[in-house]
Amino acid sequence: MSDLAIEARQLVKKFPARPGSGDKAKVGEPVQSPRKRRWQFWKKKAQAMFTAVDGVDLQIRRGEIFGLLGPNGAGKSTTIRMLCTLLEPTSGTATVNGFDVVSQANEVRRSLGTVLAGERSIYWKLTGRENLEYFAALYHIPANITKRRVDELIERMEIKDRANELVEKYSTGMRQRIAIAKALLARPPILLLDEPTLGLDPQAARNLRSLIAQLKQEGHTILLTTHYMEEADQLSDRIGIIDTGKVIALDTPEGLKRRIDQKEIIRLELTGWHDDLNDKLKGIEGVEALTTHQQNEADLWEVNMHAQNSRATLPRIVEAISGNGTRLVNMNIVKPSLEDVFIHLTGKALRD
Amino acid sequence: MQASLFNTSPGKARITSELRSLWAIVRREWIIFTRYPSWIIALFIWPLIFPMMYIFTARALSGPDGSGLDVFIQNTGANEFIGYIIVGTTVWMWQNIVLWDVGFSLRNEQMRGTLESNWLSPAWRFSHLLGPTGPQIVSMGMFIGITALEFGLLFGVRLNGSVWMIVLMMLAAIPAIYGLGFAFASLVITIKEASAFVYLVRGLVMIFCGITFPISLLPEWMQEVAKWLPQTYLIHGMRAAAFSNAGLPELIPDVIPLLLFGAFWLAVGYSTFLWMERRARQTGAIGQY
Repeated sequence: MSDLAIEARQLVKKFPARPGSGDKAKVGEPVQSPRKRRWQFWKKKAQAMFTAVDGVDLQIRRGEIFGLLGPNGAGKSTTIRMLCTLLEPTSGTATVNGFDVVSQANEVRRSLGTVLAGERSIYWKLTGRENLEYFAALYHIPANITKRRVDELIERMEIKDRANELVEKYSTGMRQRIAIAKALLARPPILLLDEPTLGLDPQAARNLRSLIAQLKQEGHTILLTTHYMEEADQLSDRIGIIDTGKVIALDTPEGLKRRIDQKEIIRLELTGWHDDLNDKLKGIEGVEALTTHQQNEADLWEVNMHAQNSRATLPRIVEAISGNGTRLVNMNIVKPSLEDVFIHLTGKALRD
Repeated sequence: MQASLFNTSPGKARITSELRSLWAIVRREWIIFTRYPSWIIALFIWPLIFPMMYIFTARALSGPDGSGLDVFIQNTGANEFIGYIIVGTTVWMWQNIVLWDVGFSLRNEQMRGTLESNWLSPAWRFSHLLGPTGPQIVSMGMFIGITALEFGLLFGVRLNGSVWMIVLMMLAAIPAIYGLGFAFASLVITIKEASAFVYLVRGLVMIFCGITFPISLLPEWMQEVAKWLPQTYLIHGMRAAAFSNAGLPELIPDVIPLLLFGAFWLAVGYSTFLWMERRARQTGAIGQY
């Protein structure tokens, strides 16, 4: 058996661009050869195509947690949907547990536990137990094993007291746990978790992260997509950063952070931010990768920038932001985080 | 880690697993159906309201002494004008409900978000369309039973025929009516919004199949069109079975075309489903809502 749980080679997925959707469309190849088209009475207009995934290579080893990190629309969900056979690649190949995602789709589905749409992936008008029994039948788990397996998972997910209540009465965290229990029903070797902590409160997210870590200990291979940097940092053995459909970096979290180790991150909190400051700060020698983000409080802005030598750069930064109604509220020089790696690589913040 | 539960045993074990999956889908659908209390209204009120509109119109048009009804009975060959109307309207409602229920079953799953998680299981995907049909047929049987009960109690309509012959007609019509529903369900997944198609089909049935009048009253070209609609044969056969005490030999001319239409529409329904499944893999339509 191969050491690789998942392998993707030059995976490409193109969709027809939807008019007015903002998809960055390119005019695709004609559907038929030009010679053939001459014989048509009406000519089919070449379809504009949008490339969601653009030549992704992945090699995920058995037993590791692999984090696929990227902003919304970067191509991580499309990649995961190709790996779990919901989508057919436009070109390239992928294998899951040694099975080809196109020609051996059913074997791939048998090898996978998936949490894709989170709490929406289960039936709210059924109880937690009924949901698990239902999906056990879909996964062809023998009837004599189903009850024991469902009881085990209900116990493990700590929903025993409420297992016979309708899912619509559960909290988001409980629904997410049922969705994960559903993925574990058939004890698949590989788990695909797409944004598993999205929408959870901090406590529920923490509990779920510790569950994911336990699943790794039990030997599952986990492909995790998230746009929470801390989550990817904490859980992943290796991380692939994906942007505009391409994997732009792939390493351990530490390896990624080392890439900008010699840089310092200057983090400012300001009130009275105005767009002119953007150009002013970018114009200062030594300042790179400037990003801004409005905080929840009105008129409080977080400004991050990378600098080779903060001692030399800081006085000029303070001078640039002085006056014109702008006030410096807080300032920190921090160690690079994965978020900073992402900004360094893509020039934009993950939440953009 | 424990090994996966699956053993890729072909043959009998695989069939048993698929039948268990199908049963789980039927059971799920039935449980969800009963957890929406509005089903009681649908079952008790609708069978009464829709035909009453035509029954009172017929009474209004029959003149002060009701003599017009005799002309109606003469034209139709029926001995019971209310029964004649309720058979037509019930078939119309059956097709209408199938288009909304079965036709939108996959779309509803898609909008709920559960279609993807069903699609990700190794179960036979057509079961996700076949499964909701079971509870739909049961609820439709209840619907027809309640129709007979309500009109028997409130309007004194009495059956003059064999219940088994009525059941035979219904069974013969199931493949055609649900085959159309399957084709429709697959199209809805792709085009998302298809209410206009429901209105078109039920409009065709309403005008061409003679739900409240004999087809012989239609212009000739419309009678030709009616021959290509399975509901025409169902309505004709059901009326004969319920109110003219028709036996199997009399019903065969309606049963045979119904079965042929059934084979055709089931083939169209299954082919459309396979086409939709292939297309969804290319476009990601399953996850879009």
